[in-house]
Amino acid sequence: MIKRFIHQFASPKTYLFQVNKVYRYIFYISLIIYSFSLTWGLLFTPEDFVQGNSYRIIYLHVPASFISQSLYAIMAIASITYLIWRVKLAAYFIIAIAPIGAMTTFIALISGSIWGIPTWGTWWQWDARITSTLILFIMYLGLISLHNSFSNYEKADKLLSWLVIVGFVNIPIIKKSVDWWSTLHQSASITLTDKPSIDPSMLYPLIGCIIGFFGLIICLVILSSKYQIFKRERKKSWVKEYV
Amino acid sequence: MFEFAFSSVREAIHMNGHGVYVWTVFLIVITNITYFFINYKNKINKIKNKLDASS
Repeated sequence: MIKRFIHQFASPKTYLFQVNKVYRYIFYISLIIYSFSLTWGLLFTPEDFVQGNSYRIIYLHVPASFISQSLYAIMAIASITYLIWRVKLAAYFIIAIAPIGAMTTFIALISGSIWGIPTWGTWWQWDARITSTLILFIMYLGLISLHNSFSNYEKADKLLSWLVIVGFVNIPIIKKSVDWWSTLHQSASITLTDKPSIDPSMLYPLIGCIIGFFGLIICLVILSSKYQIFKRERKKSWVKEYV
Repeated sequence: MFEFAFSSVREAIHMNGHGVYVWTVFLIVITNITYFFINYKNKINKIKNKLDASS
């Protein structure tokens, strides 16, 4: 029953028609939320007592860092879905998300490095959080290269799914690295269980930035998956009719 | 809550010497996101044109 349900609602055709209806709304709402929150955070929040104005990088760094890990988790769920129920759309999602995940991880790394110069006095440290994030970036690049090296998509999808699942072990390591090891990177300011250690005047725009950025990334994933569907299903008659 | 944190636009750009870091990261993020949107839109249009031509 689950299999039938998934196959019915996760067919590339149904997906394409459904996302086309909501894409515009997600894009414009996210853009407004992100622009508003970013302006609020960069120009209207008070200066940090310890870090000065450099802390404002938080509004660009944290959303990218949070989403780079979330995207990998979504890829892992898609991999499991593909391997168990053989849902084609899940396989398309894996390779559609990978470049966007690489981009967000790149932003997280580079923004963290730039933030490190005035805060820590160095742009790079081989500490647990930074190194595990670098590994995540290399994993994303590796997955993209691997998929591109195959001419047989089905084989590539299978191998990629297994690799994504194996590589998922890095996500809890990134998350918990600041608690397990003594790192230069500060511990999380926002957690699901504890009260945030950040002042509300700085917290609200940060939450807005995370939501807005996430929405924009969803839009990118929609575009990327649309491209994968067109590329992989181009011989199907419904695609020609759709175009 | 919505009080401008700086006394002038010039100060907002400079941010007591931290502006160079903050605005560099800002540019990197905006450039990356915009590039990805344009790139995917172009890729989709290209493949649509190809499909159009073949049908």
